Amino acid sequence: MIGKSILELHDELKNGKVTSNELVNESLKACHEIQDKTNSFVTIIDDAKGSEVTDDLLSGIPYGIKDIFSTKDILSTGSSNTLNNYVPFFDATCVANLKKHGAVGVAKTVLDELGMGGTGTTGHTGIVHNPWNLERQTAGSSAGSAASVACGVYPYALGSDTGDSIRKPAAYCGIVGYKPTYGMISRFGMFQFASSLDTVGVLTRNVEDAAIAVDGMKGLDENDMTTWDSSSINLFKSLNKDVKGKKLFYIENVCDINNYSNPSEELKEHLNNFKETIKRCEELGISVSKVNIDSKLLNALYSTYVVISCAEATSNMANLTGISFGPGGEGKSPDEMIKDHRTKGFSPLIKRRFVIGSYVLQRENQEKFFLNAKRVRRLIVNKMNELFKEYDAMIAPVGTGPAKYIDDNKNVHDKETRVLEELLQIGNFGGYPSITIPNGFVNNLPVGVNITGKVKDDVSVLNIAYALESTMNYKNQLAREEN
Amino acid sequence: MSNFTEEMIDNYADKLLIGLTEEERKMIQTEFDDIEKDMELINDIPNIKDVEVLSYPFEMEVSELRSDDNEGKEIPIDELLRNASRVEGREVEVPKVVG
Repeated sequence: MIGKSILELHDELKNGKVTSNELVNESLKACHEIQDKTNSFVTIIDDAKGSEVTDDLLSGIPYGIKDIFSTKDILSTGSSNTLNNYVPFFDATCVANLKKHGAVGVAKTVLDELGMGGTGTTGHTGIVHNPWNLERQTAGSSAGSAASVACGVYPYALGSDTGDSIRKPAAYCGIVGYKPTYGMISRFGMFQFASSLDTVGVLTRNVEDAAIAVDGMKGLDENDMTTWDSSSINLFKSLNKDVKGKKLFYIENVCDINNYSNPSEELKEHLNNFKETIKRCEELGISVSKVNIDSKLLNALYSTYVVISCAEATSNMANLTGISFGPGGEGKSPDEMIKDHRTKGFSPLIKRRFVIGSYVLQRENQEKFFLNAKRVRRLIVNKMNELFKEYDAMIAPVGTGPAKYIDDNKNVHDKETRVLEELLQIGNFGGYPSITIPNGFVNNLPVGVNITGKVKDDVSVLNIAYALESTMNYKNQLAREEN
Repeated sequence: MSNFTEEMIDNYADKLLIGLTEEERKMIQTEFDDIEKDMELINDIPNIKDVEVLSYPFEMEVSELRSDDNEGKEIPIDELLRNASRVEGREVEVPKVVG
């Protein structure tokens, strides 16, 4: 039963066919069953108990929490050795909000260390394996959330997204990943990676559940000054499939196979499948146009992301000292203690990102790299906002194909495909609402398509995804290990 | 020949109070020329210096003034200290920093 959607589970609970305690126990059992294969969890909350079932759609239903969020009295590690013993005395706002709705957290899921990775391979408790093929990545950083939702151990799990950390794992695991508009959900209680890009969101198996879960988390928070008042928006109640007359665009530079000199078979299939998805949109009465964007701007996308995110990360991680929380370091002075804690606690890949951040913030580099990256960010956002005056949203293939093998090195991926691989970072630069839904299979592995729209127009983005989802057979699909 | 010496890499890390092993230093040094070359793509944009920087995704105006009477929430000291690695009484303990 636990593999059902939020709406189905709510009906079962209300009709007395199952109790919340039974659901929670079933979910906990399912978490243990997939842990050996997928390594999705840092903590399975075995003493979780069911809650009162009310008319609230989330009440009594279990869910997963990315371990980047603080949870009261429950280990919260950020998948980092710098926090491997940290037990917060408070809940992150999004977790507290879900608790008020009666939702029951049952597991803390593995991420790339502190959210700073895109492979699902760098958490301190080890690699997360893709449930469709255990030799493949889940992508990251919301790796355990994506894998566990795809396995059907609960209907939804929390994620966070700085570059594509919800939306790419969703594609690789054949599920839905929704990053709402920046600031719709409070970031308080989340270990920050890059504050101007970080967004809280959710992974589910259908668009309705994504809307319901975000409705339960969103809202103003005095502890996060970037939150905005969305009380007039009810995402779930606003869902409808009447998208006739909507206008989409896609970026031809990266979506046309003829623009790649030596494309892989997977990329060819992925882009062919994308064309089929465009036809489905057109059958729904949506017009889809191709646009071209200055390639110099697109080529600078990834570097802009690296510079801004790594620079912001150096500040955000300054509180990881091992003094107030985290395993303490050794030393004769506070500085020595902090250095010992950080030297031992951070993994090599995250140190690399910090060194990049430090480099671009050196006095002699600030103008050339850090400030110029923020200028490129404005040009990209200006271009998108100009397009959004004419179009309701952008449609894009997610990445360059299905999940990569675990031993693939993301940092050396083909420069020709890099723009497409990193395209969803645009959503973070502009704070745009952005959702990935599954749209087919390549090599028997799921692939995804993404819709990104105007700031605070989450309803349009969800409705386009909702209508498109209804034309395909991937809604509510569970991972099948068949490769 | 790399533009980046071991000393430079160590210095960038040290400013963040992070130490590198020999292996980590080599990995970063090996990659850093490529990383810098990639970052130069930012400077390929014509007239980039004339553009105003964008630090946040969109305009966010906070116009509400908090009341002076707002006392805020109190957090029990026990809660604040429970994750500290070294505690003495009601305080976090660190090595002496003044003579």
